[in-house]
Amino acid sequence: MAKKIMVVDDDPVIVKYIVTLLQDNGYATCTAADGLEAYHMLKHEQPDLIALDLEMPEEWGTKFYRRLTKDEKFSSIPVVVISGLPGRHLSIKKAVGYLAKPFDPGQLLDIIKKTIGP
Amino acid sequence: MSEKILLVDDEEGIRKVLGISLSDSGYEVLTAESGEKALHLFRHHNPSIVLSDIRMPGIDGIELLRRIKAESPDTEVIMISGHGDMDLAIQSLKYEAADFILKPIQDDALDVALKRVHERISVREQLREYTQDLERMVREKSEKLIATERLAAQQHQRLAQRYQQLFDEVPCYISVHDKDFRLTAANRRFQEDFGYHIGSYCYAAYKQRQAPCPNCPMIQTFEDGQSHYTEAIVTSKSGEQYNVLSWTAPIYNEAGQVTQVMEMSTNVTQVRKLQSHLTSLGLLIGSISHGIKGLLTGLDGGMYLLNSGFSKEDKQQIKEGWQTVNLIVGRIRKMVLDILYYARERELQWENISVLTFADQVAAIVEPKMVSHGIQFVRDFDQSLGTIALDASVVHSALINILENAIEACIEDKSKRSHTITFGVKQDDTAILFHVHDNGIGMDKETRAKLFTLFFSSKGQKGTGLGLFIANQVIRQHGGSIKVESERGEGSHFIIKIPRLHSVEETTVAPQHSVTSTSDAQRLD
Repeated sequence: MAKKIMVVDDDPVIVKYIVTLLQDNGYATCTAADGLEAYHMLKHEQPDLIALDLEMPEEWGTKFYRRLTKDEKFSSIPVVVISGLPGRHLSIKKAVGYLAKPFDPGQLLDIIKKTIGP
Repeated sequence: MSEKILLVDDEEGIRKVLGISLSDSGYEVLTAESGEKALHLFRHHNPSIVLSDIRMPGIDGIELLRRIKAESPDTEVIMISGHGDMDLAIQSLKYEAADFILKPIQDDALDVALKRVHERISVREQLREYTQDLERMVREKSEKLIATERLAAQQHQRLAQRYQQLFDEVPCYISVHDKDFRLTAANRRFQEDFGYHIGSYCYAAYKQRQAPCPNCPMIQTFEDGQSHYTEAIVTSKSGEQYNVLSWTAPIYNEAGQVTQVMEMSTNVTQVRKLQSHLTSLGLLIGSISHGIKGLLTGLDGGMYLLNSGFSKEDKQQIKEGWQTVNLIVGRIRKMVLDILYYARERELQWENISVLTFADQVAAIVEPKMVSHGIQFVRDFDQSLGTIALDASVVHSALINILENAIEACIEDKSKRSHTITFGVKQDDTAILFHVHDNGIGMDKETRAKLFTLFFSSKGQKGTGLGLFIANQVIRQHGGSIKVESERGEGSHFIIKIPRLHSVEETTVAPQHSVTSTSDAQRLD
């Protein structure tokens, strides 16, 4: 079964972009527009990896990440940060990768492949 | 010219003999046989010496002596006395006769008497000269002294004026205070900007306070005699606020105690303004670079969808890719124009416009977008509106910005089945009021509070945080205001008030708000 990746970004354009990219490369996806939605989604989705944007209006990625790491059920899910703000990755210490927007899609795929396999 | 001597005797023999003798001695001799004649001659010729017999009929020698001395105290009178007249001779000395000689007259005695008289005259002359010299010297010295004093006074006045001028013209505020914080002196600049009454409190003059300011540098200077400084915001008498940098300096009395403190304050408002401009410029650059990153990612996305769609021959994805590219290009355009507007804070270009025409034009621009999203659009225009002077292009874009926000608020709101945006315009006595009412997602308190701040955006990556900031600036430039009522989930109500401040010459009336302004607005929205 295809590995599932959760894409969290408030910009639907970027969500569509990442989702298409991942699907083209054989991954399944689910999406959320902000941290809160993403957290609720974890109740019925079990992603193998989360691609997380940091600056979002309702709940910032950092807050979501703190909730995620505090919860034993989810703390092992690897996170790749895709952010436009320089230096923000410092607050996401355990991210398996940090990509600055505009990001290189090949690099994203490499990180994902290395972390969870194809 | 020889010295004149008046010889008075009733005996002709004596006059003759003595006259010859005196002429031989070099005198110009006048003779008189009586006191009356003698007085006449005396008044006429004014001889310096009078030689007079005492006993004469009519005015006698003593009486003659008294009259002459009364008229001319400097005239020397020698009395000639017979043997029996010693008492009279001595009495004559009381009336200031110079001397007396006895009859028969001895040449030696006469010489001695004349010599003595000459000595008296010369002593008196010398004395007069000395006195005159002395008086002249005193007068000269006094004049010099007065001149010097006058000069000193002038110099002192000039110096005082110069220091006062320096005090007044120094390009900062100078005030002097006593220990009770009362003003004892202030320079002209201080007086002009803060008003000044001797004895008023500095904290009242500077800050309209009732009590001394915390961290007052003057208190420290009174305590330690050192100079201290502080930066503060003060309010001028016209109500303007200035940032000032203040230094204090102690003023000592003769005993070396600090009795007063001088405060010098420099107005650094411009510097602080520049700093805040630079800060917002820094924020702007940060925001721009962040925005550009988002836009580039979006473009990458669009390109990816297109490329991937072509290779998969997925028409739907190609369409989505193309829509994405279009959307991002639109966002880039909007952002660049926001930045351009922010960068060029231009002068308003006032023109008289018909409010109704103007409102119709604004409505026409936003209506298609509402229709395409199934939002009902209601125009609520007061038909009796006249004209108003405003800078149409910028107000146009401010209103469109607010209307587009309303559209987005409706699109984002998934809780209601139908959405309506009402665009209204009314007037009261002094102002035109535009209303934008939507039943979209609405705003919470925090969002409402930050709504008009630079770079605040509730739209995440889709907003630059410039739109409403600029809209607010534009309306404020017109002397107006934007009021917002909103509740989360309920929708928002913007009231844009523009006072009828300006009136523009009728010749420049542009009843049909020009096409250029419309395109301007589109560039700026």
